Amino acid sequence: MTPTLACEGLSKRYGDVAAVDDVGFAIAPGQAYGLLGPNGAGKTTTISMLVGLLRPDAGTVLVGGTDLAADPRRAKARIGYVPQEIALYPELTGRENLRFFGRLFGLPRRRLAGRIEEVLDLIGLTDRADGRLDTYSGGMRRRINIGAALLHRPDVLILDEPTVGVDPQSRKAILDGLELLVQDGMSLLYTSHYMEEVERVCERVAIIDHGRIVADGTRRELVAMVGSADTIELVLDGDVAAAFAKLRTVEGVIEAAMTGAGSVRLIAEGGRYLLPALITAVEGSATVTATQVIEPDLEATFLHLTGTTLRD
Amino acid sequence: MWRAMVTVSALELRTRLRDGTAIVIALIVPVTLATLFGLALGGDDPPLRATVGFVDLDGGEFPASVRREVLASDELKGAVTLRDLPGQEQARRALDAGEIGSAIVFPAGFSQSVGAGRGGGVSVLTSPEAPLAGVVASAIVDRISAVVDARTLAVRAVLRAGVPGDEVKELVERNGAAGPFLSLADDPLSGGKVDLSVYYGSGMASLFAFFVVGASFRGLLTERKLGTLDRIRAGPVAAWVPVVGKGAVGFALAVVSVCVCWGSSTLIFGTTWGEPVAVFAVLVAHVLAAAAITMLVASRVRTDAQADGVIMVVSFVAAFFGGSLVPLYDLPEPLRAVALLTPNGWTSTALTELAGSGAAGSIGAVAGPIGVLCAIAMVAGGLALAGFKKGLLL
Repeated sequence: MTPTLACEGLSKRYGDVAAVDDVGFAIAPGQAYGLLGPNGAGKTTTISMLVGLLRPDAGTVLVGGTDLAADPRRAKARIGYVPQEIALYPELTGRENLRFFGRLFGLPRRRLAGRIEEVLDLIGLTDRADGRLDTYSGGMRRRINIGAALLHRPDVLILDEPTVGVDPQSRKAILDGLELLVQDGMSLLYTSHYMEEVERVCERVAIIDHGRIVADGTRRELVAMVGSADTIELVLDGDVAAAFAKLRTVEGVIEAAMTGAGSVRLIAEGGRYLLPALITAVEGSATVTATQVIEPDLEATFLHLTGTTLRD
Repeated sequence: MWRAMVTVSALELRTRLRDGTAIVIALIVPVTLATLFGLALGGDDPPLRATVGFVDLDGGEFPASVRREVLASDELKGAVTLRDLPGQEQARRALDAGEIGSAIVFPAGFSQSVGAGRGGGVSVLTSPEAPLAGVVASAIVDRISAVVDARTLAVRAVLRAGVPGDEVKELVERNGAAGPFLSLADDPLSGGKVDLSVYYGSGMASLFAFFVVGASFRGLLTERKLGTLDRIRAGPVAAWVPVVGKGAVGFALAVVSVCVCWGSSTLIFGTTWGEPVAVFAVLVAHVLAAAAITMLVASRVRTDAQADGVIMVVSFVAAFFGGSLVPLYDLPEPLRAVALLTPNGWTSTALTELAGSGAAGSIGAVAGPIGVLCAIAMVAGGLALAGFKKGLLL
């Protein structure tokens, strides 16, 4: 099947600095793909090359099989681009903004009017469509910013940090809307600082750092890169030393350590399912008064691969 | 693709109409400028008077002929007075004292030199404080030069044919070559008759054209800051669409602005800027050059605030050196040469020519300045496109 969006060997240098170096990935129809990376990792430069704003020094971009460099207008017509900033006219109403960008994408006047209503309904702004954009809240502006990219029914929606600075309610509305679009068959390229958003929306994720993709896979595949063992923290009351000795012998426990007078840390496979066995094991010596199971996640993977956290 | 360009233009025009800038710059300001200059400088002109010093160190036929012709000219009667002065130094002192506006100096032996086929030179002394007298003296000397050239040529031809020297003069004059008789066929005052309200009104229109058209190209940088320019470029449109779409509106508004200034000056005060087709062609060429220059500025700066500053500086420098603020004849000679580097200088020259010629002027008479303005537009526009290609358009 032809990928909706594919790039290969993308590179861009500014003097001696390689902003993007040999980046490549492919997004299948109806697939949500996440691009994770800290500030300056090359996410926005990559996106700028994917939407035709920046000419790569090397590499190719194919949109539905169409080479962006060879036939940019045809390729761009299949992309919906949601920039990081609110790239709309503040002195125009929401409807006027949508009408302008709809016409720019060549939608016929009659069809455009109906499509604007559909998009307004989708982003929940029908009631405020005729208000000036500079009277909108931050969340409403984010939603209309996405709406302007949906008018021409793109095959792939490219979003650059679409939820920066919005309240939790608007963020939820945006993510719900995006999930609906993916369910309807639209492909998605999503960049964000928020790990939980990428984990929720995207089925496949690439981690980019210093302009290079350092890992690419499903969430499960990426997490497996740092191992599948969980960390279990237990707080005990009673004969802690005896209980600790018993815990080390439980099947599945890989490592055990006393972390305090009444606390123990275990490294174990399938930690959540092991809890009943651990509680039973210490019976007669001590009582478990508190537990915490820490499963490996994308954050841990990211830290492992890049040596930094996403918010650095 | 044209549809996308019209969409960008429509938004630009709508924005400019909605925020009021289109009405202000296309209608209110030009009408106000024309009215102010008409009231301040226009109306019935005072009678034109000039005193021209006459220094005859030759005492021959040529100076006598010039004196006769000037005194007999209907166009100059009552307007020009000749005042005899004994020498060039006295003429210079009288000029500095403001007693005369200009002076014509015939050197000793002038008539004899011309009669012998060796040609001759006549000096003109002028003062920037009396441009009219300078125009009159220059016009008279232009005619003298033509006569001297013809006479010199004829005498040389006759001498080469072997005619004895003492018979040359008689032979030349008998066969119709111009003798020492001056004929002032054209009105020598025509160059000094341009209404000051027309001069300054057109100068202000030329200056304002930069601001009007510059506002649209400045808007490109505002759009870059907003992110809307990238959003447009990410769509299926050609790279030139936002530049041309916005520039077309700025160009059209600037043309309307200068034409409204011209129309107001003509309709309210009855002034004439010259033959309408030629005036329109000059104004359009000027706006084209202004558009290209402001586009060049927009392509080389990074922010809209920088563009504001640079466009203002460029506009005023071009206006000052180009005669839009100070008449060209009031500028020192080196600065008059600088005027030729500005579109305003060529526009001012062309409009002065057309206004001075009245209805008799034609587009052919100003083809040179129009050609130069178009060349300025092409060079600046080419450099601007190169700049946009690097900065905005990939």
